[in-house]
Amino acid sequence: MARVVRRVWIAAGATAIVAFCLAPFLWIFIASITPEAVPDASKPWSSERAVQYFPAEPTLRNYVDLFKDVPFALYFRNSTIVATGTMLLGLVLASLGAYGFVRFRFVGRGPLLTAMLLTYMIPSVVLLVPLLVILRRIGLIDTFPGLILAESTNTAPFVLLLMINYFSTLPRELEEAAQVDGCSPLGTLVRIVIPLALPGLVAGGLLAFIMTWNNFVFAYLFTNTDNVKTLPVILRLFVLGEPAVWGVSAAGAILTTVPVALLFLLFQRMLIGGLSAGAVKG
Amino acid sequence: MIAVSVTRITNGAARRRICGRSLPYAFIAPIGVLLLTVSIYPVMYAIWISMTDASLLQLARARFVGLGNLLRMIDDDVFLQGLWRTARWDAAVVLSELAIALPIALFLNLSFRGRGFVRAVVLLPYVIPPAVTALLWVYMVDGHFGVINDLLVRLHILRHPVSWLGESGGSFAVVTVAMVWAGQPLMAIILLAVLQSIPRELYEAARVDGAGAWHSFRLITLPHLMPTILFLLLLRTIWMSNYVDMIYIMTQGGPGFSNYTEAVYSFMLIQQFDIGYASAVAVVLAVILTVASIFYIRHLVRTVLT
Repeated sequence: MARVVRRVWIAAGATAIVAFCLAPFLWIFIASITPEAVPDASKPWSSERAVQYFPAEPTLRNYVDLFKDVPFALYFRNSTIVATGTMLLGLVLASLGAYGFVRFRFVGRGPLLTAMLLTYMIPSVVLLVPLLVILRRIGLIDTFPGLILAESTNTAPFVLLLMINYFSTLPRELEEAAQVDGCSPLGTLVRIVIPLALPGLVAGGLLAFIMTWNNFVFAYLFTNTDNVKTLPVILRLFVLGEPAVWGVSAAGAILTTVPVALLFLLFQRMLIGGLSAGAVKG
Repeated sequence: MIAVSVTRITNGAARRRICGRSLPYAFIAPIGVLLLTVSIYPVMYAIWISMTDASLLQLARARFVGLGNLLRMIDDDVFLQGLWRTARWDAAVVLSELAIALPIALFLNLSFRGRGFVRAVVLLPYVIPPAVTALLWVYMVDGHFGVINDLLVRLHILRHPVSWLGESGGSFAVVTVAMVWAGQPLMAIILLAVLQSIPRELYEAARVDGAGAWHSFRLITLPHLMPTILFLLLLRTIWMSNYVDMIYIMTQGGPGFSNYTEAVYSFMLIQQFDIGYASAVAVVLAVILTVASIFYIRHLVRTVLT
């Protein structure tokens, strides 16, 4: 009896939690397959849309219109370029740096490491004005390299921290063996350490990708044209009701979510530890 | 002959030693240069420009005003009320997140089939873009076709649909709910990790001693969680104080100035090209948060951790 009660109780709890977390997605998905209501000419004062729990005739029309009426594909491309670029820049520089910090003892190691990790604690709000001015001055405003550099203020120290944690868990013996066999330090990093640290690199890289994909403020302030603006910027227009077709906006929200949600669900075991480490960003 | 080869050897050794010494710096130089250009130099620049009356339109004409921007803040109602709005936003979001995350963490700590799936689903709101979260909730609370209005009317809690984002209290509530929905998973997952590290023997011993579920929660679970909870409250407060995305996307800070936290205010000032003052607001916010954190941590060290 007690076991049955426990099972019912757990099923109820799990259902409540899953519903709480997924219901908004379900609702926006339904909106994305709901055809746009035809305005009733006899009642011009009433709103065209009413609450609709499930459309009588589900349609993919909104997804087609999303690409036809809105430069969604362009924004999607931009987001992909910026997120991938930031991820690669962060991975390369952070791997090199983490290896330097983990494997060598040198003058100034402690202070340098502290300074680099402290940059992660700098609130983005403080950085907005200087980054805006600097990017304008060096002509990188409204360019991919400029946006990637700006995004790196968040991602680079974070990936560095993750990589340092990961590299310190790797056994040193393999690297020493490689060096005895004549491998240079850089060769050791590339041939021995990186392959061993692959799970850590995947976690760091994906989190950097997701952070950049999601960031609104930088993309909004540091871009001007459709050729560089990223998805969160166009989603803001959707929220403001532009275009005024909610089904299209809903489709846009779904397609913006899918890449990061998929990446997260596929790699969640690797990502969860990193997510907790990222809790300090303000 | 011999002399030549000796010099060659010592030269080689010297070169290797110099290389060996500068080698670590070669590894850390690239990320060092990056962080210097995109973080450390910008912070100093922010502090400098916060002491000017710089406008983005006429940057060259910026005048040094020293602490003049501080005087402007003392006279600025938007800034002064922003302090209260920031505190209200922090408290509402962070405490609600805890209130939701703690039960979820306790639940996920039970062992049952499908727990991995539930845990993944719980984290989903945390990894999606804030702009999407904003759209989801704006859509759900819409005055005409929002599902939340419809449900509240059907349940006779509301008499007729409300345009939530159109009024100051309503828009604050909606943004808070959206933020809590998106932010609670982080707390839940960190608390879960702590729960899983509590030794089972403690609970068994408590049961042998006749303690019920509530007693073992209060005497074992809560004391183990407390340091992490207090730490999370601090981190999330700092984070929320600097948060712009969802507040701006859902409300633009309005109606009126009702959702102008200091971070949003600074963001709005930038868009009005008033970057000297915008920077001053951001720097003052950072200073207040740093000082408050130091006091908070010292208080914790004295009371809780000793």
